Amino acid sequence: MEVDAIPNGSASETAMENAAAATISPTPSKFSGLAESLKLEHQFLRVPFEHYKKTIRANHRVAEKEVSAVISSVTDAADRENMSREEAVHHFTSLVSRLQGLKRKLEEGNRTEQMQAQKCRARLDHLESADADNLAEWNSTRLKRILVDYMLRMSYFDTAVKLSESSNIQDLVDIDVFQEAKKVIDALQNKEIAPALSWCSDNKSRLKKSKSKFEFQLRLQEFIELVRADKNMQAITYARKYLAPWGATHMKELQRVMATLAFKSSTECAIYKVLFEPKQWDHLVDVFRQEFCKIYGMTLEPLLNIYLQAGLSALKTPYCYEDDCTKEDPLSQESFRKLAVPLPYSKQHHSKLVCYITKELMDTENPPQVLPNGYVYSAKALEKMAKENSGKITCPRTGFVCSYSELVKAYIS
Amino acid sequence: MELDSIKDAFDRVTKKQKLSSSKSHEVVDQIHLELEQVLQKIQLADNPECPVNLKSVFSELKTKLKDIAPLTQLESTQKELNTALTKYPKLVEKSFNPDISKAYRNVDFDRHTVNQIIASHFYRQGMFELGDCFISEAGESESAASMRSPFQEMYQILEAMKSRNLDPALNWALNNSNKLNECGSDLLLKLHSMQFMEILQNGDRHDALKYARTYLAPLASNHLAELQKLMACLLWTGRLDCSPYSQSQLLSVTNWENVAEELIRQFCNFLGQSYESPLGVTVAAGVQGLPPLLKFMNVMAGKKQEWQSMKQLPVPVELGREFQFHSIFVCPVSKEQSTEENPPMLMLCGHVLCKQSIMKMSKNSTKSFKCPYCPTDIDATRCRQLYF
Repeated sequence: MEVDAIPNGSASETAMENAAAATISPTPSKFSGLAESLKLEHQFLRVPFEHYKKTIRANHRVAEKEVSAVISSVTDAADRENMSREEAVHHFTSLVSRLQGLKRKLEEGNRTEQMQAQKCRARLDHLESADADNLAEWNSTRLKRILVDYMLRMSYFDTAVKLSESSNIQDLVDIDVFQEAKKVIDALQNKEIAPALSWCSDNKSRLKKSKSKFEFQLRLQEFIELVRADKNMQAITYARKYLAPWGATHMKELQRVMATLAFKSSTECAIYKVLFEPKQWDHLVDVFRQEFCKIYGMTLEPLLNIYLQAGLSALKTPYCYEDDCTKEDPLSQESFRKLAVPLPYSKQHHSKLVCYITKELMDTENPPQVLPNGYVYSAKALEKMAKENSGKITCPRTGFVCSYSELVKAYIS
Repeated sequence: MELDSIKDAFDRVTKKQKLSSSKSHEVVDQIHLELEQVLQKIQLADNPECPVNLKSVFSELKTKLKDIAPLTQLESTQKELNTALTKYPKLVEKSFNPDISKAYRNVDFDRHTVNQIIASHFYRQGMFELGDCFISEAGESESAASMRSPFQEMYQILEAMKSRNLDPALNWALNNSNKLNECGSDLLLKLHSMQFMEILQNGDRHDALKYARTYLAPLASNHLAELQKLMACLLWTGRLDCSPYSQSQLLSVTNWENVAEELIRQFCNFLGQSYESPLGVTVAAGVQGLPPLLKFMNVMAGKKQEWQSMKQLPVPVELGREFQFHSIFVCPVSKEQSTEENPPMLMLCGHVLCKQSIMKMSKNSTKSFKCPYCPTDIDATRCRQLYF
């Protein structure tokens, strides 16, 4: 009868165990790996900050505008002759209530700013909280963040909200920022241009700085819609007002679109036919998404795609596509293989041998041993096999049988 | 990572924001106060006893507002805030990798494939509602939910185990006992032992014995030692906590966790799935792999074209042990990876080189050569091919 052994090691043995445990603690390379991976989180800090900045600027503009309006209104009153008392009372009552309105707005704006600042801070704290002890949990949160980012970019809002709420990571994802995009995208999908134009005017200076022609493209589309509706005169007036200013930089496109006046929307002429196609609207949505990402300092591609691509390339070896590829390798799955097709293989400078039996890495601690038939397994696996089968070794891949004493060690550098 | 300076920079931003915000309030309050006073004065103007000259009131107010200079006041704090607002993102940009898409290859991932991977990920993590919501919102077909029902079965088993009900787990293990045997798993024995201990802990020696005869006895041939240990527990019915087994694995909570883990492993295995979420593994590999790739792209900026068409990554990307799924042999002489045509060969001294290197050094096996790692003379004809 076997009873679980009670530890009866001497003090010196325990001390040695402690020493051994100390050396196994995370290596410096693992820490630098963590630091390197945190450096990838630029967007994570940048996006909420851009949002915060935008709110601050907008609130300030409101305050400035209102205050100067009040001042000029006072000046007006002072300069006016013969204002009756009733008029004056009326005038000043409305000014006072205007200021009260401004005060409310400022308070509300300040609250929003505080909330957004809180979000920025939560992200800094989250980055700071990553260490070796909670790495598994932190990584799982990172995967969720990456998935929410993907869903927001694909406009899967419901699932994005659900995932962030169920995982309690609302402060770590940018749902609020994307709400702004959703309005514009929804409208464009309904062939409405107004919200996109007002977004352009809200972000005028940023768009100008990046030489964006998104507004021009929106205007072109509106022009095309007028032509489609046969409102040619209206279209010309529109073009004079909204298209002409872009002539200096985008003459070619302008000319091409103007030429549609000579065609009907049912034209078969390929150059112009495409301008009337509904997929132009999808194109506008794509352009908008790009502009939106740029303004907030996001990558143009979903984070998920970027990480998947890097991961698949790093994992891809010719062996992944063999039939006996282990299931633990993501590239054993059809869907992952499909994604990896256009990607490069990984490059290796050093041998890395994985034991076929235990799936463990073979190294000096657990060296590779060669059977007489040339098949290689880890010492650990073969020792165990020999112990259980009174010194006999059976090659799991060929059925070859030999004795433990026939094994030779291989030195892999 | 040095986050302190970034946090300081952010604190500066919020400090200036508070300052600017309170300044706006102050300015608006000041104007408000002045205007209300004027309004009062005008209203009093009705009183014939103290007539008020509207004109002079207005011009007085005008000068007062000029003295307050609200717009200049607003601007002054805003200026400081603006400086902080530009400094912070610059610092962030310097400390972080501002564009992680630099090493991105312009290939379009098939959206349906990605969506299917995500849906399967949710199901395998037991997030069924989320998976359903995702599939319907993304407009994916039913087939994207193919992983739903198998994983649902798995989570039902695990849920039952959490409330110490082993029946569903035992049922599944019995139905798959042949497959479990084939891959050398003793899950069935573990589950039966746990059930046995449960009965015993509830204090019924008779039932426990009956259970052991029915279910444990057939497993005796392969697991004699385990079985003996279990049967000895019968001696301590009702007072297992003061038995030699009190500290043993059989009674521990971690045992339940370990067995649950083993069950997940085998369940996934039979489904043709990995134990870890493949999406999680790939993204984690990406997080490790991206920094060296980005570094490389910074160095070879301008050769973007080449990057788009490379068959193999230009730099080695070292991933952790958990990402090593295949044996890779790199010949220490030629630095090339072994292939079927150029397999690894074991020399008599135990060192390994690729076949082509051996051929070269032995002038096509016409003469012996010295091992590059030790003084042994190597006869190329006596080298053996290795299979990892």
